[in-house]
Amino acid sequence: MNIAKQIKGLIQEAEIYSSQGLYIEAKGKYENAAGLFQKNKQLENSDNMLSVISKRISALGQKIKSLNGTGANHEISMKAQNLIKQLFSFSSEEHEEAAKLEGAIALAKFGQFERALKEFFELLRHDTVRVVAAKNILRCHVALSSLDAAVAQFQKWLTSDFFNSSELKRIRLFLQDMIDKKELNITLPEIRSDDKGSNQLHEKDDPDNVLDISSIGIIFDSGPRKGSIIEYDVSFQSGNMISLIISSKEKEWVDSLSIGHKLEDVQYYSPIAMFKGSGLVSSKTEIKSGPKRGDYCLDIKIISM
Amino acid sequence: MAIFNLKKREIECKIVYYGPGRCGKTTNLESIFKTYQKQITGEMVSINTEGDRTLFFDFLPLGLGKIRGCEIRAQLYTVPGQVRYSSTRKLVLRGVDGIIFVADSFKVRREKNMLSLKDLQKNLKEYGINILKIPLVMQYNKRDLAEEGLPLMSLEMMERDLNRQLKVPSFSASAITGDGVGETLQGCMKLTLEFLQKQLKWAE
Ligand SMILES: Nc1nc2c(ncn2[C@@H]2O[C@H](COP(=O)(O)OP(=O)(O)OP(=O)(O)O)[C@@H](O)[C@H]2O)c(=O)[nH]1
Ligand SMILES: [Mg+2]
Repeated sequence: MNIAKQIKGLIQEAEIYSSQGLYIEAKGKYENAAGLFQKNKQLENSDNMLSVISKRISALGQKIKSLNGTGANHEISMKAQNLIKQLFSFSSEEHEEAAKLEGAIALAKFGQFERALKEFFELLRHDTVRVVAAKNILRCHVALSSLDAAVAQFQKWLTSDFFNSSELKRIRLFLQDMIDKKELNITLPEIRSDDKGSNQLHEKDDPDNVLDISSIGIIFDSGPRKGSIIEYDVSFQSGNMISLIISSKEKEWVDSLSIGHKLEDVQYYSPIAMFKGSGLVSSKTEIKSGPKRGDYCLDIKIISM
Repeated sequence: MAIFNLKKREIECKIVYYGPGRCGKTTNLESIFKTYQKQITGEMVSINTEGDRTLFFDFLPLGLGKIRGCEIRAQLYTVPGQVRYSSTRKLVLRGVDGIIFVADSFKVRREKNMLSLKDLQKNLKEYGINILKIPLVMQYNKRDLAEEGLPLMSLEMMERDLNRQLKVPSFSASAITGDGVGETLQGCMKLTLEFLQKQLKWAE
């Protein structure tokens, strides 16, 4: 093929790739073109063309570099944040806090840590989600600045009487775990049980004794699926009460569960180990709006583990 | 997961445009936004872009009218194609009902198409979804550029690369001119509704 024509083709290609944001491909084609010019110095105007092309190559190099530098972690508009909250959380009147929690977690996952932090702080006021919110606050601090910031936050909570001792213990366990994973040599102060609290609670009901459960397996004790197991992630937990989101496909099964029904054979999965135990169905609600509409929220009280 | 409201006889499903960076996902949504004004039930939102690169996702809600007495609504999403946003892609994929895989016809993007399809398969698997079972269609985009003499893959080659095992409906398109864009979406909606109908038995 005619060299001049070949070069022209390469440059045309490079230009279109560049216009479509395919900078690496564009750079490659310019480099090929430059190579051909170098080998064919007899071509008209070749020195001039070479300098034009090498300028483009270095400009593309810059663009590629700057693209690699930026990330998705800048803050976006309030309106966009609200949309994320809405699209990535479920909501029902009965479980408003759970929905808010999901929304806040989605914001954090999209890197909107400042806004998420605000939402998590608001959620601290709600008993059912406050410990989960606190853990996420610590996570956000780590993402935004450092583990030191999370430790400082924990120390603040330690000296205020915002959380009771059992809540503080759970938060401590979580943070210590994060510290240990980073192999840092920090040991958080142990939490002593506050006397009023632990005397009033029966050992069994003390949420303190309940580990974080990440998922559970329920073994059917009757019906056609007797003996088989279904597993669900825990969508949130407060002490010995855990909530699961059950797909609408399981309607029949959910319908068969009455409030107070005892699930005799349940497997509780915690980060440490799996425990066998039983649970009590304490509430069930159909989710009426949001992306999980039609599904069920099932609350199960852990009675032994 | 689709939301099915029996009382209101309404179905809302989530369609995700997937594919490598710069293949034309956002351009597909823009074309639908321009062409189907009547069906648009809200505005198109592009969440966090850098230049015209998607960093989070684009979102476009559509109302598609009644099918067998049931009001059909679709939420269209695009994912960010750049390799490093894998976790965002996974997040956007959550609860997906139907997928449009947009492949770039440029020869130089051949490998990127295949890697992106692999990434889709992996992300679906993490949600417990088998890529062979979910409603999925292929779109071979940027076909208009063939006329300008640019090196594109042939449709046969793209079929071989991407659709040999999946054997899903495929469409050639030019998102920028709008050719094939509506057909692709219709193809995906058809599969998705058939799939949901089997699952939910809504049209008795
Ligand atoms: N000629 C032509 N150009 C197209 C076509 N589709 C997209 N483009 C161009 O390709 C470039 C990338 O398109 P986008 O729609 O932003 O690509 P995307 O898939 O959303 O990219 P990411 O957000 O980075 O994943 C833009 O410059 C578009 O104008 C097409 O069918 N023909
Ligand atoms: Mg895009």
